[in-house]
This record gives sequence, C-alpha cells and structure tokens, in this order.
Amino acid sequence: MTRLDALSEWSDRHFKWLLVAPAVLLILALSVYPLLFSLWVLFVNYDFTVPGHAFVGLRNFTRVLADPVARWSLWVTVLLSTINVVIEFLLGLALALAMVKNFRGRGIIMSLFIIPLFISPVIVGQAWALLLQRPFGPTNFVLTHLLGHEVSIGWLTEAPWNFIAIIIVDVWQWTPFMFLIMLAGLSNLNPELYEAAALDGAGWWQELREITLPGLAPVIAVAIVFRGLDAFKIFDQIFMLTQGQPGTSTETISWYIYQIGYKFFNMGYGAAVSYLLLIFLTVAATLYASRFLREERL
Amino acid sequence: MSAIATRVPAASDAARGIPVRAARTGRRRPPLVTLLRYLAVALALVFFLFPIVWIIGISVKLPADYLNDPPIWIPTEITFRHYQSVMAEKGTLALTNSVIIAGSATIISIIIGSLAAYSLSRFKTGGRHLGFWLLSQRMLPPVVLVIPFFLLLREAGKLNPRLGIDQHLPLIAIYAVFNLPYVIWMMRSYFSGIPVEIEESAMIDGSTRLGVFVKITLPLALPGLIATTVFAFIFAWTEFLLSLFLTTDIRTVPVKIQTFVTSTGNEWGFIAALGTAAVVPSFIFILLVQRHLVRGLTLGSLKE
Repeated sequence: MTRLDALSEWSDRHFKWLLVAPAVLLILALSVYPLLFSLWVLFVNYDFTVPGHAFVGLRNFTRVLADPVARWSLWVTVLLSTINVVIEFLLGLALALAMVKNFRGRGIIMSLFIIPLFISPVIVGQAWALLLQRPFGPTNFVLTHLLGHEVSIGWLTEAPWNFIAIIIVDVWQWTPFMFLIMLAGLSNLNPELYEAAALDGAGWWQELREITLPGLAPVIAVAIVFRGLDAFKIFDQIFMLTQGQPGTSTETISWYIYQIGYKFFNMGYGAAVSYLLLIFLTVAATLYASRFLREERL
Repeated sequence: MSAIATRVPAASDAARGIPVRAARTGRRRPPLVTLLRYLAVALALVFFLFPIVWIIGISVKLPADYLNDPPIWIPTEITFRHYQSVMAEKGTLALTNSVIIAGSATIISIIIGSLAAYSLSRFKTGGRHLGFWLLSQRMLPPVVLVIPFFLLLREAGKLNPRLGIDQHLPLIAIYAVFNLPYVIWMMRSYFSGIPVEIEESAMIDGSTRLGVFVKITLPLALPGLIATTVFAFIFAWTEFLLSLFLTTDIRTVPVKIQTFVTSTGNEWGFIAALGTAAVVPSFIFILLVQRHLVRGLTLGSLKE
C-alpha cells in the first residue's frame, strides 16, 4: 500500500471527524481560549494604567458585588429585558392572531412587518432618536395634536420616558420575531379542536384559553428562550438613545462592561463582570429550560 | 440549554398565505371583530413602517426641512446631497469594510459550518454532547468576550500587525466563529431532511464521500444554504458591539453611523443617508428568504 492510499484510507475512516474538526478548532481558538484567558484576567490586576499583573484573588469579584452601579445595571437589564420580552410576546401573539386568516395583501403585509428584524439596531436606535428628539422630532408634535394639549417630553433625557423610549425601540425591532414564530405555531394547531370547540359553542376567549394557548405552549417556550437571551444583551439601543444617562440610570450590563473596558481600562474588573453575567445567564437558562422545555431528541 | 426540538411541520403554509384557519372553522366572525382585526393590522403597519419612511425622508430632505419645528412632512425639495457627502466622508469606505468583513465571515462560516453540520447530521458525530456544546456557543453573549478579544488582539498585533486591533482579519474570524453555531444548527436541520438513500445510491456508483456531499447533498440543500447564508450575513452586517471595541479606523457601517452623532450637533442627513444605504441589502434579502424565516430565527428548533 502506498503512502497516498494509506492517507486516503485514513481520511475516509475519520471522515466524520475531519468534517467537524475545523469548526471545533475555530471555536476552541476564538471562543473557549478567550474565555479561559479572561478567567485568568479576572484573578489579576489587569489595568492599563497600572504596570504588571499582580494576583488579586477574588478582589475583582467582591468589588463588582459591592458596586451599586453594577447592581443597578443588573436590575435595569432584568427589568428592561423582562418588560421587552413580555410586550413583544403579547403584541406578536395579537398580531399573529389578527393575521392568521388569509386576506388580500396578506403576503405583502407580512414582508413589511418583518423588515425591522433585518436592520442594524444602531440604525433603528438612530431612526427612533430622530423621531423622538426634541424639538424637531415629530413625536411630541403628533402627541400634542392627538391629546389636544402641549406635550414636550424629553424622551431621551427624562425618566421614566427614557426607559419607555428604550422599550419602544426594542419592541419595534423584535415584535416581528415573536409575530413570525407565533404565526407559524398558530397555523399548525389542529383544526379539529377548533371545530369541536365551535360545536360546543365556545366563545373567542374560551377558544384562546382552552385551545390556542395550550397548543402554542411549546412554541412560546422556544420563542421566549431565544428572545430572552438576546434581550439580555441590550446594548446598541442604549448606545444610540441614552448612553446610560442621565447619570447611570439607564446603564445595562452590556453598557456597564463597555464603560469599564473602553473608558476606564480596568480589564480585570470588566472580566469579572463578564463572568458574573455568564454565570447568571447560564443559571437562568438552565432553570428555564428544565422548567419549560421538553427534553426531546436533539 | 436543554432540548428545544419542537416539531412544527407546516409552518411555511402561513408564510405562503394558505388560508389555514379560514378553511378550518368555516364559521363567520361578526363584522365588528373583522373590523377590529383590520384596524389592528393597519395600526401595526403604521407603527412598523413610519420610522423607516421617516429616516428615508430625512435622507432626501434639506436640513432646513428636517430641523424644522413643527415637522415638515413633505419635503420642499428632494436632495441627494447627503448621500454624496456621506460617501465622500468615508461612507463608501465603511460600506466596503462591511462588505469585506461580513462577506468573508459569512463564506468562512458557511463552508466550515456546513461540513460540520453534515457530519453531525449523517454520522451523529460526538453524540448529542457535541451538538449541545456547539449550540451553547450561540448563547454566549458577545459582551462576555469583548475584553479577552481586545487584550488578546493587542498581544497578537505585536507579533503580526495584521492580527491586531483595527484589522479586517481578526474581525472576520470572530464574526465567523459567532456565526458557526448558527450555521451548524441550521444546516444540520436541512441536511437531516434529505433522505440518506439518495446518497447511498451515489456511493454505490463509485463516488467518494466528499464527492457525494458536494455533488448530491449540497445542491439538494441549496435553498436552506441560501437562507442560512443570508441570516449569517445579516448578523455580521448589523453587528455593532464587537466592531466598536475591536476597530478604530476600519469602521463597519454601524460603527461609522455612530460617529456622526457628536456633541457639537448631529449630522442627521449623513446618518439617514448611510442608514438607508445600509438597509437596502436587507430589503433584498428578506425577499430571498421569506419562506425560511421561522426556521432561521429559531436555529431550526421550530421546523418549517
């Protein structure tokens, strides 16, 4: 047997492993290794303004836990992502219910609804900043005319309006995600159940509660995991709308890490925050998964 | 993350506009409900379209128009000068950077990811653990990795300038890695839908394993491949945080747009023009992948 034959036989035998090898190696190099590296960083003093990397043990962790801004940003993130996901789910479901029946122009309207999903959050944030900005953004103008009295809300500067602005922007961008998935779920529910319900004289509300929602539950569970994990990363909107201001009131975790790394150059501290975020998300996702997601073949 | 393999076999019916529920009950709803339904859809349309219309509007309005209070709805004059100015202000460069970075990252992740997906789908390589591990990478928020990326690239830049901060190559590799779990999961779900028998018969005809994959399986999975490519591209095209952290001069479009927001006064016209230009590919892509949207958004865990 020549060398080449041996090689080709070897590669045929290990074909399946050769196929996954590049992907696994790339992830090891650019995801696992950086994570391990930051595990080292968080135990040392990695500050561009201080030479050397002195071992500091858990000091970075304890500093994060003691920092009121860190705790506040966690609350802001939890609160914002919960409100965002809930509103997006409810609106998405309502829209899907309104659109599940066919009507003229339905296809075009569907395409229009999903446009926000494909636009960079930076552009979305900017578009909304233009709409909300005082004095020339049209929002206050429209509200003034609708409500019949002068409205001059500082959407990006005054609490609670700045939070509401962030929520509106997130809802605008991600409701289409919920809408699409809910619509797919709805169109797969068993029609016989609805026929039976109709024979029993079930009302609209009863139909929704007894058939639609239970049937949709697995789809809802999946949609909430994907959206929830994404919603927790909220950064771009904050960057474009409020920059965490006024003060630190609209800081989210991602914004907080960005500030530490980019402005204050305290990398060990930033790495500690990142790890705490990772631990928090892993625990939350695991708890959620064990509670709501069925263990099935993967 | 636990198992998320819910089957929804015919979700694409909804996307194609097949009247699923209408055929189902045959019961007429009172006109008031129908009216409310249309009203809700109309309101939602206004909400979702208005910001887009507004930003496109600003991109062709004169500053005197878009800075006016009360707002001017119909521009007094249509101008394209914001487009010309922003392209001269390195807008073209930002678009080029974005095309290079997002394009290369997408190609790399599609090639490497499809191979891995094929292996996972056909040979159950690594059992469910490998699949889980790959999926868990998708759940990793980018912000967790920005600090180690930044520090490692600083060091790598000392060894080879092309691997440092503010270079195309590292950003391409990083976007490719962020896309990999996604591509693998999507393509795995598409490959799993192709019957093994087709491949087996080709193998009997003397094709090599790789030959079968390239000549038989890949063409069959082409619609899925295109959809996956689009989603991977959109991720890289719209990404902001990593690009902001890891570049200073090589700016992608989202980072470039943000530079026009300044303390001395924002270049709204520039922002609107570059924003509009950046959204055009997205519009085209939506039309391309409409049928695959649901699967694309849920990593194949909800199948079409």
